[in-house]
Amino acid sequence: MDRFFSIIAGYIDQYAILPVLYRCGWMQWSDLSFDWALVCVYGLFAVLATYAICWPLEAAFPVERWPDKKAVAVDVLYTLLSRVGIIPVVSFLLFYQVQTAFSGALVDAGFIPPDLESLIPGLFGHPVVTFLIYALILDGADYWRHRLSHRFRAWYALHALHHAQRQMSFWSDDRNHILDDLISFAWFFVVGLAIGIPPLQFPLLILLLRFMESLSHANIKLSFGPAEYVLVSPRFHRRHHAMRAAGRRSCNYGAVFSVWDILFHTADFTNAYFPTGDARAPEAMASGGYVAQQLAGARLFLRALTQTRPRPQP
Amino acid sequence: MITRRHSLALPTALVALGGSPALVALGGSPAIAALGGSPALVALSGSPALAAIRPLAIVMNSGGASCSVIDMTTKQIVDTLTTYREPSHWCLSPDRTRLYVCDASGNALFIFDPLTAAPLGHVRMADPYQLAFTPDRKYLVVNALRLNHVDIYDATTLALVKRFAPGAMPSHLDISPDSRWSFNSCQGSDTLASFDLATMTTRWVVPVGRTPAGVLWHNGKILVCLMGRAEIAVVDPQTGAVERRVQAGAGAHNLFLTQDRQTLYVSNRLGGSLMALDPQTLAIRRTYVIPGGPDDIGIAPDGHIWIALRFAEAVAVLNPTTGDYSTIPVGRSPHGLFLNTELTKQGKLTAEIL
Repeated sequence: MDRFFSIIAGYIDQYAILPVLYRCGWMQWSDLSFDWALVCVYGLFAVLATYAICWPLEAAFPVERWPDKKAVAVDVLYTLLSRVGIIPVVSFLLFYQVQTAFSGALVDAGFIPPDLESLIPGLFGHPVVTFLIYALILDGADYWRHRLSHRFRAWYALHALHHAQRQMSFWSDDRNHILDDLISFAWFFVVGLAIGIPPLQFPLLILLLRFMESLSHANIKLSFGPAEYVLVSPRFHRRHHAMRAAGRRSCNYGAVFSVWDILFHTADFTNAYFPTGDARAPEAMASGGYVAQQLAGARLFLRALTQTRPRPQP
Repeated sequence: MITRRHSLALPTALVALGGSPALVALGGSPAIAALGGSPALVALSGSPALAAIRPLAIVMNSGGASCSVIDMTTKQIVDTLTTYREPSHWCLSPDRTRLYVCDASGNALFIFDPLTAAPLGHVRMADPYQLAFTPDRKYLVVNALRLNHVDIYDATTLALVKRFAPGAMPSHLDISPDSRWSFNSCQGSDTLASFDLATMTTRWVVPVGRTPAGVLWHNGKILVCLMGRAEIAVVDPQTGAVERRVQAGAGAHNLFLTQDRQTLYVSNRLGGSLMALDPQTLAIRRTYVIPGGPDDIGIAPDGHIWIALRFAEAVAVLNPTTGDYSTIPVGRSPHGLFLNTELTKQGKLTAEIL
């Protein structure tokens, strides 16, 4: 299957991306363009696979039934922008120069940025184990990024866009303000400097983790039972998206592994399926189109930056 | 097909400084003779172990953090060697007992036994993408593409001697036969840089055309593939002046001169072809259509050309007489390609000069 995707990506690269790079004088990126194509192909496959699995489950075991799904439609757009490669590629281009300059400065100072295998030599030769440890550490880093995004008012003004959705479904995972996405990239850039970039030769494992994140947002009555003490289930994550959990005092911040919430005492295993949304978010964030949501998030962000009064707590 | 992943066989420091004890213990054998018997190899005295040596192709899978080892006789993958992240190019140690493989984003230089493909360790190195030893065995010149550096290391200790920052994305390189000058293409700034390795100074940095890639010292000139064009620039090594441009395929990527110096091959990334050029006139003799992003090549003793196909996740084996080729699936984004049969050839051995 891996080879099948690579061959498709190869065709896209050779017959669509490279000719554009060639005509525009950007062939210096030709070593990376295949990776971009691969990201898009895997992303598209991930969307299709997630849809094929989650849609029947949402239809059969829904937490909520909605008269219409207009609010879900814009989440589909977020997903396609994020997973079929546009946002990752643009982010890569933005951060590549920064990373180059920063890594170059470190190397000039005589310091080669480490990776896990150099920090723990026993990991070398065990790429799957290495990948899983990376996944766990990066999930831990994401736990703190997410938790801090709820802690700081201006940051939550951006993150509120993610929480504003009252029709939360498996499409909602990528519903983020673009500035919030940029902060995430910067966050993981810094983490990457500390522990290195994870090995990327296991795209199917990466897709599995991304699938778990989509599933956790799904409108499905589903708990993982005892496994919920390790993995984030739709029930567990729905508790984080509950109306009354929006804002600073939330819980269940974990994206894939629930162990971080348990470790840092923010886990809530209440066996209930609450309505989702953020009552204090502007209505445009909940039901507006893509541009309206982004503008509303930007306005809320600027207001939070300029206001000195703390935001009332629920 | 047998797939095995290796862990480190020897302490890194030992290998980095001392060479391969196992290989040194090996010696001239019928197998070596069958490979062509270079003086360096024949100097390694007789050992039954060498009788088991077989012709191997080692393919660096940049997107798979591995090297595929192919039995050139059966065309089957017999081993998969683990690297950190992104193996790209290779060169042999001056004494030809070690194969150095760059792992750019892994910040490491991996070392393998070039005859058996056995892992011998690795050393930490900042972003090695492409490398070559000077013929006088004094320096190792390394292009750090991601970090925009050209690093000069002591060939024996691998201690950094000098760091240049000539432009964006230094990719390929070659060195003058007298070991005095290094020529490094900077594909992000459309320039070719030259360094004086005696004085450790920059001689010149000149624009040569869009996205320069493969570099080859050839007949007293520097040939530079232009990946953003369908051309090869012919550069005066003294002044850096571009004297003329010759036709190649779209996305001309890298150059390879055959051992008998009768054919100069150029791989064309976008054009999906391999071109055979007259090494004197640089005129195109023949074009082989090989889609899939041809990159590095190696020439087997039977004359067949082994070609890494970046997008096809395969190595093509081309019969240059008939133009027919077969493919062998390997890992993701195969990039550098080393044939251990090339050990029998004279002269320096990098991907560019066979």
